[in-house]
Amino acid sequence: MAQVTRREFLKSTAAASVLAASVGPHVASAQGKEIVMLGIWPFTGPFADVGPLLDRGMRFAIEEWGSKVIGRPIKYISRDSETKAGAATRRVEEAIDSEGATFVIGPWSSGVALAVTEVAKRRKVFYYFSGGTEEIAGKRCHRYGFNWAASPYTAMHVVMDKFMEANPSAKKWYLFVSDYAFGWSVEKYLRLAGQKYNIDFVGADRAVLGTREWSGFVGKAAAAKPDVLCLLNAGQDVILSIREAHNFGLAPKVPVVIGWGVGTEDFVQLDAKTRENLWVGTNAYYTVNTPVAKKYAEDYQKKFGVPPGYAPSAAYGMTRLVLRGIEKAKSAEPADVAKALEGWETEDWPGRVWINPKTHQTVRDYFFIRCKKSDQMKHAHDYADIVASSSQPLMPDEFNECKDIGSL
Amino acid sequence: MNVALLAGAVLNGLVTGMIYALIGIGLSLILGLLNIPNFAHGVLYALGAYVLFSAAVGPVGFWGGLLLALVAVAALGGAIEYLAVRRLYRVHPDYILLLTFGLSLIMTEAIILVWGPVGITFQPPVLLAGGVDLGVTFYPKYRLAVMVVAAAVVLACWLFIEKTKYGAIIRAGIEDRDMVSVLGINVRRVFTVTFAAGAGLAGLGGAFMVPVRGLIPTMGIDILPFAFVVVVLGGLGSLPGAILGGLLVGVVQSLMTAIWAPGADFSVFALMALGLLARPQGLLGQR
Amino acid sequence: MGRQRPLLRLAALIGATILLPILVRPVVAAEIWIFAVAAMALNLIFGYTGMLSFGQATFFGVAAYTAGLMMIHWKAGLLVCLLAGIVVGALTAAVIGYFCIQRLGIYFIMLTFCFNQMFFFVAYKWTSVTGGDDGLPGIPRPPLALGPLSIPLNTSLRYYVFVAVVFLVLFYAMKRIVESPLGLIFQSIRENPSRAAAVGYDVKRFKWIAFTIAGAFTGLAGVLYSMMFGIVPLEVISWVTSGDIVFMVLIGGIGHLYGPLIGAAAFKWLSEAVSVLWERWPLILGVALVLVVLFLRGGLVEALARLRLALARRRLAAGAGAESA
Repeated sequence: MAQVTRREFLKSTAAASVLAASVGPHVASAQGKEIVMLGIWPFTGPFADVGPLLDRGMRFAIEEWGSKVIGRPIKYISRDSETKAGAATRRVEEAIDSEGATFVIGPWSSGVALAVTEVAKRRKVFYYFSGGTEEIAGKRCHRYGFNWAASPYTAMHVVMDKFMEANPSAKKWYLFVSDYAFGWSVEKYLRLAGQKYNIDFVGADRAVLGTREWSGFVGKAAAAKPDVLCLLNAGQDVILSIREAHNFGLAPKVPVVIGWGVGTEDFVQLDAKTRENLWVGTNAYYTVNTPVAKKYAEDYQKKFGVPPGYAPSAAYGMTRLVLRGIEKAKSAEPADVAKALEGWETEDWPGRVWINPKTHQTVRDYFFIRCKKSDQMKHAHDYADIVASSSQPLMPDEFNECKDIGSL
Repeated sequence: MNVALLAGAVLNGLVTGMIYALIGIGLSLILGLLNIPNFAHGVLYALGAYVLFSAAVGPVGFWGGLLLALVAVAALGGAIEYLAVRRLYRVHPDYILLLTFGLSLIMTEAIILVWGPVGITFQPPVLLAGGVDLGVTFYPKYRLAVMVVAAAVVLACWLFIEKTKYGAIIRAGIEDRDMVSVLGINVRRVFTVTFAAGAGLAGLGGAFMVPVRGLIPTMGIDILPFAFVVVVLGGLGSLPGAILGGLLVGVVQSLMTAIWAPGADFSVFALMALGLLARPQGLLGQR
Repeated sequence: MGRQRPLLRLAALIGATILLPILVRPVVAAEIWIFAVAAMALNLIFGYTGMLSFGQATFFGVAAYTAGLMMIHWKAGLLVCLLAGIVVGALTAAVIGYFCIQRLGIYFIMLTFCFNQMFFFVAYKWTSVTGGDDGLPGIPRPPLALGPLSIPLNTSLRYYVFVAVVFLVLFYAMKRIVESPLGLIFQSIRENPSRAAAVGYDVKRFKWIAFTIAGAFTGLAGVLYSMMFGIVPLEVISWVTSGDIVFMVLIGGIGHLYGPLIGAAAFKWLSEAVSVLWERWPLILGVALVLVVLFLRGGLVEALARLRLALARRRLAAGAGAESA
């Protein structure tokens, strides 16, 4: 019996090997012509609602180009980041190995992006991310990685300056901060921006992304009697904390400011009551009146019935710049495209953009919007007005942690 | 920390504590009588929540949905016991644990397939909208309602277990399973009913949690460790223990959020460890 | 005859470690051996000693974070980190084990689970140290320094070779443990704890020893994992990972020396292959687990044995038929 076991063990190993070899990974054979672009998006996890929108935005841009660029076909693949650093990096590596992906856009979470950018650096693939962490264009900068969203320094100054312009006596701020890379960056720069106005940050609560229970935090905020409740959180945490603030009577008496919001995607989840006295800083609002943005807003709304928010606009904007970069470089090599983007100043989404060659930060407008009351809304999606938009102030050099962006 | 904050924190703790107590009662019954650490208990809680959600946005409505959650998840629990768990009684109990673990994977994915992966926020019914000025603090009506109704269910369970004949059978079975069958009682049926009841209570707990925390497919995975702490702290097989454990866990979690938020969840487990050091059988446990 | 069998099996194992990176990506292959170590450790306490721990990720994660922090902040060397993993894993297991061993059966399982959660929440919320949900990024892979020789391990294949060698060493160590008198004591505790106590063994003490040894092995596996992707993700310490390790032991075959290896290979390969095809693959995992528990409790090892038996029977019947014809 023992001998048979041994033989069977070897036989089954051999059989399994043959099976595995036939089903196992194959090196991408169509490497010659095809340009493979990977969208690493969250289809599960705390940002599961955003994944499909990002997927849409990237496809939109690729389809606008006819799924071709410089005469070569584009293959678009998407993978689930799960908003988990481990899963996302594995899937990115797998896409590079088995599909030959050379352009990576995504994910949505700043924390996961910190891990993905390391993969991009090591594997020398082009990488574009849109997020609030300063590290992509800061401490973890490299020649292949770019950040599309406004710098958190700029963004938080726009929010603070424009809000204080309209509410000069709102000196006491209470913060809800998502406890990860994104939250840390925006909190740091909001506090910095508040120095000019002698803002008294009466309290700040850090809660992990995906927190469902906000009653305790709202209670603490109410006890501190703030003039402003500023949300520096993300995903559904924003919706849940706004709702709970209303449930406990804190809002709309106290204005709520979303420091780094997604705009439309949040607004459709709230109602007119919970949008009362709500101010939002965001990288994207669909009413922006520049050629590329206007056309995109119209086409998107025609196709999907709702105007695009930050997520599909970011995916669209990043993919556009990649495709235009390939055209500019007349090459789809990541190194060439990176060089083409460096220092480029051009009209794209949402208007004038300039890519800082030293840090790979995309300098573009950040928007501050104010939500409307229901009787002020002229149509179903007329949620807010753009109060201000600005790409200034630029982050001064002393804050910039990208000292040496390295070589290709 | 001012009085309003403290009062709010205690109230929040009682709300979630009552729900934890419900979940804990169910888990404790299953553990005590059937000797099964039910790893599917969390996902049964989640299913109850999703059943309520679907019922509430449909014709059944919120209140009918609560009842439906209880009944549907109880039925599912009974089916699980009858079809699968039962086959494993003669085998080692570890295998039943693994079975429930496998079921929890299946059911979590099933929730995603049916309701999607996105979290859902839920507005309480209009009747419970708004808040009440309690003098010391302003508190939302729906939370008070959840606390009161859940407390009523907890009380009903306690009365059933302590005061009725069937409850006595269950208590006897927890103490000595073999004796009960010797007394001529259909033990198999008691097992099925108990598993179903335990599951139903978990489902009801999930339904109560919907207006408080909304829904998300991972809510079952998230709540399971806390359910285990409730039972371990309170004492395996002790219903009063589960109630006490549930309330303690809820209040500690809530108070710690007000005092030192990052340590809130850790405190629950530290509480368990301390409790075990002091009384290894749990606060009200006997075994 | 009896002496050749284990040698042949060992040879087959070495052959498998050589073949594997050809069949799957070296990264996946390395993960298989890393989790095989963790599964072996669980098999020691579950398969051989009869204690089901649902919290092995505690030691895996604590060691991974420790090594990661050592490499980031102190630029610690490779072998120092491995040693740290063993020590940290063993110490943590010794402390937690002390609590858990006091109780039996389901209580024990739930305690291991709850302590896992405790450590999970520490890792989750202590973001300044562990990075929380983002994980701990930027971990370098130090070269293997053996005296004057310094071998860089910067490619996936090189790291795989290193992991495979460490695995084989650990496998041999585990083999020696289970085949030693200590191993026999463990098995006697699983078979009949009261008899073992009656014979004079301090059952609790030996359980504690088994738990601690398992912690050491699991810790070492955690350190190897920390250097794989340059990041320690939060999942290393989550109870889901604990569950995965249990699953690997179960599907491989509890109490068999090679069981956990087969289980780890099957689990990792399947999860890699299927997750690309269908995101809901944990559903399949759950179904597989339920089926195994209900119908195939001996795991893949038993399945293979049954298959062999069925084939042998068919051959016998065919042979008898041919003879009589």
